[in-house]
Formats: sequence, C-alpha cells, structure tokens
Amino acid sequence: MRRLAVAVFMLVLSSVGWADGGTGFNIPVEYHKLKNGLKVVLSPDKTAPTVVVAVYYNIGFRIEPKDRTGFAHLFEHMMFQGSQNLGKMEFIKLVQSNGGVLNGSTRFDFTNYFEILPAHKLETALWAEADRMKGLAITQDNLVNQQGVVKNEVKVNVLNQPYGGFPWLDMPQYANTNWYNAHNFYGDLEHLDAATLADVKAFFETYYAPNNAAIAIVGDIDTKEALAMVEKYFGSIPSQKQPPKPDISEPRQEKEKRFTKKDTLALRPALAFAYQMPQRNTPEYYAMGILDQILLQGDDSKLTQVLAKQKGYTDNVGGGINLLGNMFNYNGPMLWMASLIHDPTTSTDDILKAVDGVIEEARAKMVDRAALNRAFIKIRSDLYDNMGGFFGFGRADLLASFALFDDNPARINTLEQELLKVTPELILKTAQEYLRPTNRTVLMVEPKSGS
Amino acid sequence: MTMKKIQLVILAFLAVTFVQALHAQKQLPPEGSTPKDFTIPAKQTFALANGISVTMVPYGSLPKVTVSVVVRAGNLNEAANEVWLADFVGDLMKEGTTSRTAEQVAQEAAGMGGSVNIGVGPDQSTISGDVLSEFSPNLIALLADIIRNPLFPESELARIKNDRARQLTVQQSQPRQLTAEQFYKILYPDHPYGRYFPTTEMIQGFSIQNVKDFYRKNFGGQRTSIYVAGVFDSKAMEKAIRSGFEGWNKGSEPYISIPKPSMKKAFHLINRPGAPQSTIYLGLPVVNPYETDFVPFLVTNALLGGSFGSRITSNIREQKGYTYSPFSTISTRYRDAYWAEIADVTTTVTGPSLKEIFGEITRLQSEPPTEAELKGIKNYLAGNFVLQNSSRSGIIGQFSFLKLHGLKDDYLANYVKRVHSVTPQQVSDLTKKYIRPEKMTLVITGDKSKIEEQIEEYAKPAVEPK
Repeated sequence: MRRLAVAVFMLVLSSVGWADGGTGFNIPVEYHKLKNGLKVVLSPDKTAPTVVVAVYYNIGFRIEPKDRTGFAHLFEHMMFQGSQNLGKMEFIKLVQSNGGVLNGSTRFDFTNYFEILPAHKLETALWAEADRMKGLAITQDNLVNQQGVVKNEVKVNVLNQPYGGFPWLDMPQYANTNWYNAHNFYGDLEHLDAATLADVKAFFETYYAPNNAAIAIVGDIDTKEALAMVEKYFGSIPSQKQPPKPDISEPRQEKEKRFTKKDTLALRPALAFAYQMPQRNTPEYYAMGILDQILLQGDDSKLTQVLAKQKGYTDNVGGGINLLGNMFNYNGPMLWMASLIHDPTTSTDDILKAVDGVIEEARAKMVDRAALNRAFIKIRSDLYDNMGGFFGFGRADLLASFALFDDNPARINTLEQELLKVTPELILKTAQEYLRPTNRTVLMVEPKSGS
Repeated sequence: MTMKKIQLVILAFLAVTFVQALHAQKQLPPEGSTPKDFTIPAKQTFALANGISVTMVPYGSLPKVTVSVVVRAGNLNEAANEVWLADFVGDLMKEGTTSRTAEQVAQEAAGMGGSVNIGVGPDQSTISGDVLSEFSPNLIALLADIIRNPLFPESELARIKNDRARQLTVQQSQPRQLTAEQFYKILYPDHPYGRYFPTTEMIQGFSIQNVKDFYRKNFGGQRTSIYVAGVFDSKAMEKAIRSGFEGWNKGSEPYISIPKPSMKKAFHLINRPGAPQSTIYLGLPVVNPYETDFVPFLVTNALLGGSFGSRITSNIREQKGYTYSPFSTISTRYRDAYWAEIADVTTTVTGPSLKEIFGEITRLQSEPPTEAELKGIKNYLAGNFVLQNSSRSGIIGQFSFLKLHGLKDDYLANYVKRVHSVTPQQVSDLTKKYIRPEKMTLVITGDKSKIEEQIEEYAKPAVEPK
C-alpha cells in the first residue's frame, strides 16, 4: 500500500523528480487493553537506557463544569498533592530521587502526566501512577495551596505579561461559538477560588477511571515484562461508567469576525488571525497540515516571506495548528492560527491586505511544485522529531493520543503515508473551503495608548 | 518572631507524627530492577589547519542530524556603544551570501527539512541546522557558505534595525526582562556582560561597516568548533566539513575578558504600578565550571532551589502557594558564573517570600541535609546526566560546554562519580562559601506602593545602576 501511495504521488510530481518518498521510518507499536478498559501502548526503543511513562486521561479543559472554568487545569495540579501511599511532595521526590523528571499538562482533549526515568525504574513509576489512579488523598490545605499556585500561574503567564494569553488563550474564545470551545481554559480567578474538595472528588471519580485513560511506555523495555507490571498495578482498579460526551462541534463559520482586545501592558500592537480547521483525520485535514508548512512554518514559508522579509511588518510570524500541541494530539474542532507583533505605524488593514494576497493566491492557484516539495520534507522532518523528540516523550504523546481518540495507536505509522497522499488539487480545494475569508476570525491587540 | 518559631516547631512535630502514623499502613514503592549500562556516546574528532575543531557523535536511529557551528564571538566582543551588535551580525548572516539570496538560503534549508538558526549569546554565536539525514552534506555546504561568505546587504539593514527596535520595546514591557537588565547592570559593572539592552539610538546608529568590522575581527577558524550529532555517514560528513571549511581563514584567537562581578550587597526596585506579582532576581557571583567546587556546587543548587523538589520551591510554592515557577540557577560564562533565585511572587507576599528564601539559605548554611535528602538529589542529577547525553542537541550542548570552559573529556567521564561523592557537610559548607546573603544583589520589579513596607529589611543598600 505504501508503495502504491508513493507511486501515485510520483506521477503527480514526476517532472521535479520527487525523490522524497519518505524513508518509511517505522515505530514498533504493541497495543493491549486491560479488563478494566485501560489502554496500554508499548514501544521499545533501545537508543538510551531510559523509559517514558505517560498516562493520559481523556478529559481536557474543553469539558469542565460551566461554573468552574479552569477546573480541569486546577485538577491537574491536585494530582501531585497526594494519594494513598504518596503524601504531598512524595510523588515528585520519588521520581526525582530515582533519577527522573516529571510533569503534567492540561490540553484541549486530555490531561497528561509523565515521567522520564532510567529504564530500570519503570516499575517504580508504574506503581506511583497506579497509586494516584486508585484515589487521591487531598486535604483542604492542599487545595488552597494549589489554588494559590494556579492563580500565580495565571498572573505570571497572563495578567502580568504584555500579550498575556495572546493568541493561544484568547483566540479560541473569540473564534468559537460553542461554550466548550470558547470559554477561558485557565479560568476566572473567582471560579478557581470557588472550587471545593467535593468538586475535586466528583471530577476524579468521573474522569480519572482506567476506562477513560491510556498509558504509553516508550524506551528501553521488555514489552512482556512491562505489560505484566501494568497488569499488576493497574489491573485491579475498577472502571467507572462514563457520562455521555457533550457535543463540542462548531457550526460552519459563515462570516468573518473581528475583535479588538485592549492590553495596557503591551507597548506595540499585535494581530492574530485564525481559520476553523477541517475535521481531524480527513483528507482535507492532512492537506491543511501541508498548507500550514507552505504558508506558515519555517523561514521559507509564504507568510513569513511576505510579512516579515518583503514588507518588514514584523520580525516573526508565529502559529500553526493547535498551539497547545501539534496537529495530531487533539480531538475536536481546532483552529489554524497565525500571529505577529507590529509597529503602530503599520495599519491592520495593510497587514491583512498582505495576508489576503498570500491566502487568495493559495485559493486561486495550484501550489508551485518546489514549495510543495519543501512542505513534504519539512513535515516529514517534524514528524520524525515528534516520534523521537524529548527522550521518547513525543512518541508516547502520539501513541497515547491515538489510543485515546482513535483506539488505534498504530496510526503513528500511517501519518507519513497519509500526508504523502495529499495532492496539489486537494490542497487547492482545501484552501478554497477552509481559507475562505468568511471562515476567519481576526483579533487585534490595542496597546497602551500613546505608545 | 518567637511566637512564630514556636508555632513552626509544633507544626513540624505534628507533621512528623502524622507521617509516622501513616507509614505503618503505607506501601513502599518498588525499587525497580538493576541499572542498565550507560556510556556517553562515542565521539570522532579531527581538526582543520585553520584551527577549527570538529566533534562528530553518531547517535540514535531517527534519520535526522544536527549540525552546530559555534564561534567564539558574542556580546562579550561589543564595545559599550555597540550593545546587540553581535545580534545584528547574526541577523544579517541570514540575509544571504555572495552566491545565495536570503530566500534561497531559507528554501534550501527547508528543502532539507529544517531551517538555519543563528543564536547569539554572551560568549559565542551558534549557527545551526537540524535536517533529515539524507541531506547532511548539503547542510554543511549551506552553513559553510553562510558563515564564510555573508553578503551583509545594506538593503536589509533598515528593516533589521526596525525589527530590533520593536523587539527592544517589547522586551522592555516584560517584567522578567526589566528585572534581568538591572540585575546584570549591578552584577557586571563596566563589562559587556552587564549591558543587557541597547538604546534605540544605538540600534539606529549601526552601519553595515560596523557589522563587517565585527565579523572580520571575531569570525575565523581559531574561534570555531563544529559539532555533528545524529544519524549520518561519518566519511561523507568529514569530507563535506573539510571541503566546506578548510579554505577559511584562521582569524584571531578568542578574545578573553574575565569580569570582576560585584560582591557587594545591593538592592534596586523597579516600580510597576498595579502589578499583581513582584518579579525577584536575587543572586551573586559563584564558582565557575573550571574550578573543582563546581560539580559539588551543582548538587548544592539542585537541593536548595534548582529542582521541583528542592527546598525553596517546596517552601514558597508547595507549602505557601506564593508563586508558580520559582527556580534557582547557575549561569556560566567563560571563567565566570553567577547563582540566582528567580521568582514571580504574589504582590502581597513579596516580603514573606524573601523571608522564606533567605530562611532556606541560612538553614542550609547552618545544618547539613540528611543523607537521604542528599542521596535523592544526587540520583536526580545522575539521572539527568543520562538525559543530557541522550538527544542530539543535548550531546552537542555537553561537548560545546567542555570546549568553552576548557574542560577535558574526563569531566563527563567522572561527573556521576563526583556527584555521588558529595557529602552533606560539603553541601552546607558550599552554601556558606558561595551563597552569601550579605553579598547579594536583589532586584525586584513590582508595585512600589504595595511592597515597599514589606521588603524594607531587604531593601538596602539601594543603588541606582549605571
């Protein structure tokens, strides 16, 4: 099949002598499901004597109680505050004193926890992750403490920063219409303060069950031994009935939207624009991945060349698909977004005119072959980094995401083929529908007056 | 004060009883199996006649390769009226060569699956690319052209000045940057390391001639090291490096200017009315990587403030909830280093945060940590060492660190052993020797009207950085 895909592709691009059929870099993937529903993905990699343990829960910040914005993220903090056999700080100290690093994060559609350790400490990490999946032992003091920490996180990243939350936290709130996609994911400070231990308990019981989770283990492992350890520590955790998933869909956007945000800490204006993405895993979605490379990623990209190099409006145009991850690790509506900081002497209209020039060209003309060729090579290079980056964490992230969202972690080995299937015709068609002016939201940052 | 102390003692006592009571029923974590061997990936080295040293490290199985060309040219080489000139040189190196336009450079790099990145630091500039392995020799040819034959086009100067002026304005609205600027000014008086921001006038005054002069003085074989890590054909790589760089001139030897950083207690406040947090930089000069205390001091720092589980972080984040991401760091330059604790704390607890930070420092000075606490930190550093040597960029970082500081390979070979040999008493002694509150520079950016009273006892002597 792979061969066929490449062959078809070479026909399309025959005149440039398409040499980049991909190397077919293949990841070993072993997939199991425990009786309690826990999804387990194992991927051995002997490059270094290390192991990544990544536990993903299928609960992101989109789906959190409506009177508790920011709760999914606050809850992530609580997972470090104590479980049956590990008191406060003991989880962190256990991982560090075994030579590892750890973290957790809250994203659109999952909350994850991971450790990277010397490979022989795999069992230690699995025991600890299982301990907190079994249940939390959190006090009111710990909750109050983490409310303080999270409020400080919001202050340092948003409230005390110029361009705080721009555009990653802001744009979804302006571009989306469904509350699940359009609320403040970091949360209102009053909502954070209102959270109770009862909220924590209810959230845990609903969403932190093994049948709502996936665990990915990547590194220098024996897969049989690893699976036995997972069985031993996680096998007895009971599953929980899951509530129906809410409808998080977004309607087709029919009209361009424009907003202005005042930022009294900023000294220069900024501009972001975003388009609603095609549905995940469709041919158009992969085409958008290629379009992102052509238009926005790297110094050769068209928006960078026009806005930064030719017009000099900015020194950097940033953005992409899913600013809180990558084009693969989400499961729902998503934005393709770009942003830049500019001078007050440059008008928003001038910038948007230049943007329109680039976008309308992509919607009117078949992409030139050289740019397409570069896009394929760039995305392949990115993909390999995702598969091998951060000591195997990037791979664990993809495997756990595909287990949770598609029940098929082996998808990791189809991505290159799916991307290679994208044709210039499909790119044009995708640009025509998804880069429509009426599918766009524009957000302007108005700085402190007089600057 | 006395009352507080008594309360603390009681609390500590209660906590201990509580933990012991629980311990009876608690399971202990499994130890894990036996450690697997770790060896630092083997390197291949050679030198070119013009002085360039080359280090190649085959690593991993992903079909990618990273190449970094590190030149001993950085902000250190700027005169007092040339702040960011080194950065300008870096910017303009991306604007084309005598045979390639800037767009061609960008397109060629993209066609290999990467881009050319130029980073300028205090001691050196790094020109690098990270591409698919199949294009390795092409990347070398492209980097060689950029480094050896920059065009420095006059036509792009105005745009780059404008970009840099905009970046300057943006950075000057960020509390961390504002705080760092004054911290550096006080710590490194009359030295390029202390000159953090240029003025807008300085930026506007730069000419292509300034750029060319800087390049001519500071770029050349004797200043340059090349690092390659990833999957590549060693023979083809060596051939590409020789043909790309062999004809380049020697240039001059690295310029050495070791600073005499301030060891005087100093305080400076930057008023940011309405700020919900105070941004704190607190630090002083410490031992540098060339000295024997350095590795034991890394252990000391990791225990005090340099890791998630460290004492200061446990205290002001996990116990008190004053802050989100406090950390202490050892920042190194050639034959120089400083230690600093950096934290953004809620405005109303600025004084209490300082009290806790200083409290943790003096506690570690006066009593050694337990063997168990120290062992945990040593294991953490030993594990991190494996991670540092388990990625392309990490491997390159390690070898270029050795090169800059003039360290031998045995630094890496003995690192873990040296970490494990540190004793509790040594940690306490090193804290006393290096982390001395009476010699620290403290800079705070925050709402003056709300913090002035809280920080009174730490706010002296106030200085106005030049």
